[in-house]
Amino acid sequence: MSSSVQAALPQSKPAARGFLRRLWDAIGMSLLALVTAFLLGGLVIWITSGSFDTVVQAYAGLFRGAFVKERGLTETLVASVPYILLSLGVAVGFKSGLFNIGVEGQFYIGAVAAAWVGQAVQGVPAIISLPLAIGAGALGGAIWAAIPGYLKARFGVHEVINTIMMNYIAFRFAEYVVSGPLRDKLASAPQTPRISPAAELWTFAAVPKRLEDPLNAFAVALIAAFITWLIMRWVVGRPSMQKRIAGKSQRRAVLLGVSAFVGMIVFVGLPVLTRTWWPFTDQYDRLHTGLILAIFAAVAVWWLFAKTTLGFSLRMVGANPNAARYAGVNITRNIVTAMAMSGALAGIAGTIEILGVSICRCLPLFFSSGYGFDSIAIALLAKNNPFGIIAGSFLFGAMRNGADLMELNSGVSKYIISLIQALVLLFVAAPGVVRWMYRIKSERRPEEEAPLTRGWGG
Amino acid sequence: MTLALQATGITKRFPGVLANDHINFDLEKGEIHALLGENGAGKSTLMNILYGLYQPDEGQISINGQPTHITSPHDAIAQGIGMVHQHFMLIPPLTVAENIMLGQESIIEATRALKSVSVLDRRSVSKRIRELSQQYGLAVDPDAYVRDLAVGEQQRVEIVKALYRSADILILDEPTAVLTPQEADDLFVIMRKLIGQGKSIVFITHKLREVFAVSNRISVMRSGQMVGSIKPAEATSEMLAEMMVGRKVILSIDKEEAHPQEPVLHVENLRVMDDRRHMAVDGVSLEVRAGEILGIAGVQGNGQTELAEALTGLRRATDGQVTILGKDTTHATPRQVTSAGTAHIPEDRQKHGLVLSFSVRDNLVLCSYYQSPFAGRIEMNWPVIEQQAEELVHMYDVHTPSIRTNVGSLSGGNQQKVIAARELARPIKFLLANQPTRGLDVGSIEFIHRRIVEARDNGCAVLLISAELDEIMSLSDRIAVMYKGHILETLEAQAATREQLGLLMAGVKEDLHV
Repeated sequence: MSSSVQAALPQSKPAARGFLRRLWDAIGMSLLALVTAFLLGGLVIWITSGSFDTVVQAYAGLFRGAFVKERGLTETLVASVPYILLSLGVAVGFKSGLFNIGVEGQFYIGAVAAAWVGQAVQGVPAIISLPLAIGAGALGGAIWAAIPGYLKARFGVHEVINTIMMNYIAFRFAEYVVSGPLRDKLASAPQTPRISPAAELWTFAAVPKRLEDPLNAFAVALIAAFITWLIMRWVVGRPSMQKRIAGKSQRRAVLLGVSAFVGMIVFVGLPVLTRTWWPFTDQYDRLHTGLILAIFAAVAVWWLFAKTTLGFSLRMVGANPNAARYAGVNITRNIVTAMAMSGALAGIAGTIEILGVSICRCLPLFFSSGYGFDSIAIALLAKNNPFGIIAGSFLFGAMRNGADLMELNSGVSKYIISLIQALVLLFVAAPGVVRWMYRIKSERRPEEEAPLTRGWGG
Repeated sequence: MTLALQATGITKRFPGVLANDHINFDLEKGEIHALLGENGAGKSTLMNILYGLYQPDEGQISINGQPTHITSPHDAIAQGIGMVHQHFMLIPPLTVAENIMLGQESIIEATRALKSVSVLDRRSVSKRIRELSQQYGLAVDPDAYVRDLAVGEQQRVEIVKALYRSADILILDEPTAVLTPQEADDLFVIMRKLIGQGKSIVFITHKLREVFAVSNRISVMRSGQMVGSIKPAEATSEMLAEMMVGRKVILSIDKEEAHPQEPVLHVENLRVMDDRRHMAVDGVSLEVRAGEILGIAGVQGNGQTELAEALTGLRRATDGQVTILGKDTTHATPRQVTSAGTAHIPEDRQKHGLVLSFSVRDNLVLCSYYQSPFAGRIEMNWPVIEQQAEELVHMYDVHTPSIRTNVGSLSGGNQQKVIAARELARPIKFLLANQPTRGLDVGSIEFIHRRIVEARDNGCAVLLISAELDEIMSLSDRIAVMYKGHILETLEAQAATREQLGLLMAGVKEDLHV
């Protein structure tokens, strides 16, 4: 009996399959969706312009605009940062069985909160004002998202409806704040006052100057020590190392020692290093340290779902709320937590746009971005994998950034990018279409291709 | 003798699996041919081939002596084969008539269902359904909404659907898995009536009692092969079980006498409402002591589900008191109940018991993932979890390619073993087993039963809720019969008879007779 039962199971022994096979399983369909979207986009350009040369020119322009032209690559990265954070927010929701379509609104609320705190902390050193502003943005987004989360958990109101509604409230609220209570009286256009210079998010180009302040260098050293601590904790936890360093207190000593040492090196060495040798010399380059924060957030989200008990219970609630309740998980608390975390990530994205990107270093009246809605597509494309999200965000950032030069180069409207992005979303959402196009047989049964969110009113 | 259906040399290979190995199967006109076999034996593959869902790699099929190919379910229906699936293919918000006429227009000339594009001819469809229900004794109301129907009624709708499509050959895939014993008996009456009117039936099951009750011929499959065919009169349960499993099976459970000790679960005058706010549990009092099994017998839907949910914190009790080991858990959360030493094998393993998209490993720590040694304050301790998972998979004989396989791809029996492993591996004082073997094969039932008795012998108090009277009678030390939210009577298991219990399950209490 044992052999027959085993034989009847799917023949996928994960360990036995090759690396390439697994890689293909993970990203193959997403890659095909992308390629197909670009092919079809090219076809549309070809048909509408009547010349194949235009297709080549358009895509060449897109590529050059995104990567080659002066500050092209860094601008692409600047656009990737909000994408990463917002898609992470969407992914946290999806993994917990929630469709947070309101990241755009939470992004706005984060921006409002950051603009408010940023201008209020005049004269406060960066080591306090910057974390305060980011924290305010995160908190704003978290609260904004937690409201529909609570409404869902407590009263069963579907989060899609409420988060969309909350978007509009957020947009109008931001307009009100900019033109009313927080309007900069000295500026001609409606906008909030410029934030405290200390609360600005550092661009890479400004890093050497910032580090001249020992307090700032100390803050960076603290962060470096913390990251070292995280890495060392992982290194020390590995079985081979556990054998070599036996005692628990010993391991802790090693951890603290190495981290403190790295922190000290950074504190002393980094200001000197950046003054003598620093690749980011272009003062007009907008690439900012929010990129590091975004990547850190991606690792944190990965850690949350792969390693923590909270992540496990969130996944459980997302996959089968009935079983989660049976297992003793507090559903209400988990839904609210998931939404709050999702909103916090979106809020941080909005904060970064205010503190590090917006030209006036303030919240202007027209702060429209559309980042939030694109991010849903990125999260789907990446199948909610944080590292896939980094790659997808980079790609979407490149398309956003390269579109202008494409239009200039070929005369093709830059809105063709939206068409391609829409096609990507379509193909990712309906993998059957792609599979049919390329005649790929599905190994999985249809029911395993679970939708990313549970049905309406569930 | 004419053969309604004959399949010879059917072979079907899936990647790495020989699901059907040169199977010969035939069905005479007007007979009920039972097809027995454990989960994964290849019964469903064979039936899916006959229903046109799969194409065989080798072999021939003939209907009424004519060789034929069945290319799709549509084709199967056109050739007079109807199938009633284990999981019903009905749309709950539609009426019975609407469900039955659905998809019909493209199959038979009976375009009366769709007279024109815009008008559905409900009246004539309803009329035809009424005729069919009368002819075969299938009580079905064409205008009722499917969502309002009980499981047994839904199944009758499925049968009518097949008959409406002029099926002469009916394939019933595990039709009794979802039915109460009473509903199953009703189904058998219908089946006999159907063959009396010239229909032929393939009856797929793994319940031995049923094949004796209804079939004319029994074929047994194991591991993709046809083990043999036999007449019910010549067969015994033990024989069939051995054919199915391939080894001797102990059908009755050896258990020693119970040595009940101190009370563990104490329920006093418990009242619980169901979702429609009817009093489903109406003043139940009971006590389970360490080292004994109290069985709750009763027809499905007499408050057992609500009782189990209230005891485990999944449903609020409106009145009364529950104590577990002296601790008041009347209004405790599921986690508090679990921490008090309770294990719960839930009624619906796919809805409550498992997260199907999670791995075996994850499901094994579903209730204890946050506790030491499986987790620290924040992080899971995966190496420990995996080590335990490997041990449990081995100990509980879970057939899975790896502990990282999704539980959803395992058979029902193996899924239930995962739940049993998870719940029984913890140090527990009280086990609530609700329908622990529903839909399982003989081998798995035997396994789960032994584990439950083992838990009892280790000093655990066991509350067993089951709609299977056989299960209740063979496992319990005491038997309480539940009817309309009340416990009518509690009997010593040795003294209880089937008849006595059957009467109580129907609500007949002797001293109430007058």
